[in-house]
Amino acid sequence: MKTRTKFVIGGLVIFSTLAAISIQGLQEATVFFYTPQEVLAAPADFENKTIRIGALVQPGSVEWNARQIQLAFKVTEDSKHFIPVVYQGVKPDMFREGQGVVVEGKMQGEVFRAQQLLVKHSEDYTVDPEHQKSKEAYYQSLSQ
Amino acid sequence: MPETPRYFRALEWGALLALLGCGLWVFLGTPVESSQGFVQKIMYLHVPSVITTYLAFFVVFVTSIAYLWKRDLKFDRIAKSSAEIGLVFCTMVLTTGMFWGKPTWGTYWVWDARLTTTLLLFLIFVGYFVLRMSVPDRDKEARLASVLGVIGVLDIPIIHKSVEWWRTLHQPSTLFKTEAGAAKPSMPPELLYPLFACMLAMALFYGYLLLMRYRVECGDDTIQEHIANHPPEGSRA
Repeated sequence: MKTRTKFVIGGLVIFSTLAAISIQGLQEATVFFYTPQEVLAAPADFENKTIRIGALVQPGSVEWNARQIQLAFKVTEDSKHFIPVVYQGVKPDMFREGQGVVVEGKMQGEVFRAQQLLVKHSEDYTVDPEHQKSKEAYYQSLSQ
Repeated sequence: MPETPRYFRALEWGALLALLGCGLWVFLGTPVESSQGFVQKIMYLHVPSVITTYLAFFVVFVTSIAYLWKRDLKFDRIAKSSAEIGLVFCTMVLTTGMFWGKPTWGTYWVWDARLTTTLLLFLIFVGYFVLRMSVPDRDKEARLASVLGVIGVLDIPIIHKSVEWWRTLHQPSTLFKTEAGAAKPSMPPELLYPLFACMLAMALFYGYLLLMRYRVECGDDTIQEHIANHPPEGSRA
């Protein structure tokens, strides 16, 4: 067998292995998060698996327990399918009701136990028309 | 190497003053964004860096094709210079993105489609320079780098569309948002105009860097040619 042929065969083997690995990885990675509806439709598929759920924080469902550093809220995408989430940790600055979040963790029965809480922000940028009145007061209102 | 032309100095001062002016405008004359607060100011560095990265690699794309077509090293010198600057701006995109992500998302990094494809662009062009360094023959280097340059730039449309094609943590595009088919950036003019100014200033800075880098590249090739034609005494070359 010629050296060139060997190189071609070797190259093809390496290339196809890499391609197979990346396609497999890509299929998993491109689904960055599931929606509550998808998780509730097939609970058995998500049992004891670390997954991410992306949805909106249902307004009125947020309970922040500062003493235990525990944040509980419900997430939903369509205001029909809800998943209660419990997150042990500090409440992020950008966390608001009605905001998009991505939580990473596991389903435990009906409740999603989140290890990581990421806050999405919208692509809409806005300016408060009152901002010129008092910058100091405005900054204070942001940190609350 | 000829003396520095006067318009170089003009471009240099123009770019520096434009960047300074934009900085002052952003921090002194631009209102604070409602939901993110002061941290949103990172956008004025992040987004112009993205646009400049796209611009720099677009120049790589065009000049690489031009080289493969005409086989004139002039085009390869522009491609190499622009790729190097593009890589610097791409690094800036990734770092400013991380500094922005931590206070807003709550993390420096996630492996979502937008961030991963951007890192891929960075790695492709790191590989581009490794490839250039590993080929001793100047014409062969130009040929191989041009091919990789053209393929590598194809990642940019994927980066741009990633937030639409896949579920990502990164929000969709603000500037290219459309409403009923018409372009409608989702940002009030008080925030939008300084952003456009920052983009222009950064593009001007890119133009200045490209001209300077291109001159260095021409000088470098002249020296290499001279060495090849006049081997030092006693050498085996």
